[in-house]
Amino acid sequence: MPGRRALVLVRVRGRSMLPTYRDGDVLLVLRGGRPRPGRAHVVRLPPGTDGSPGPLAVKRITGPAPGAPEHWWMDSDNAAEGVTSFDVGPLAGGRIEGTVIGLVWRPLG
Amino acid sequence: MLSPFRITEVSAHCDLPCGVYDPAQARIEAESVKAIIAKVADNDDPDFRVRAMIIKEQRSELVKHHLWVLWTDYFKPPHFEKYPQLHTLFNEATKLAGAAGTKGELDAAKADELLAKIDEIAAIFAETKQG
Repeated sequence: MPGRRALVLVRVRGRSMLPTYRDGDVLLVLRGGRPRPGRAHVVRLPPGTDGSPGPLAVKRITGPAPGAPEHWWMDSDNAAEGVTSFDVGPLAGGRIEGTVIGLVWRPLG
Repeated sequence: MLSPFRITEVSAHCDLPCGVYDPAQARIEAESVKAIIAKVADNDDPDFRVRAMIIKEQRSELVKHHLWVLWTDYFKPPHFEKYPQLHTLFNEATKLAGAAGTKGELDAAKADELLAKIDEIAAIFAETKQG
């Protein structure tokens, strides 16, 4: 995982982690730990077809990818939305940047 | 990069970062809506009508979704400068697919208006692809 271990904050943009996390939620993330299957993680998505770097995204790592050691299967919590390993394949371990510890703040309203 | 010194935005968006956009997606769903409205007009079976209503609402929601993806992800500030009517077009089109339009009503004229708005957006989309 990239970076030394550190606690960082991220803000969620979008709806693909509903109902767990909403747009605007601020999450506490442990950067640089090992992936914890079943938990949400901050991942670097694979590059686009035009070569542009993939965005940082929040996804659930469900477990090791079937038949691909050192790779992880990611899913969105909202089945209707979000890029998952069904779309872009499993993620190499180096693309998992941090583990979500929990919600620290949610916008009012 | 994740930093302990600032809040990083992380995406939970619905779109693949693949750069593939096409107003045809919205159009196909809007055509479904129009066809459903026509079928309901010719059918008195209450079960059929209920199913048609559900599908019509779902398809209308998909029209809005595809329009929103174009609006928020494909079109960029220079496009909105060059085509100042774009925001209004999207606003009107998504409303026509909403509760006051094809989602909530059974009005073929609303479906035609929606298709016309999508075509206007598609024409601008095509121009941006040529530039």
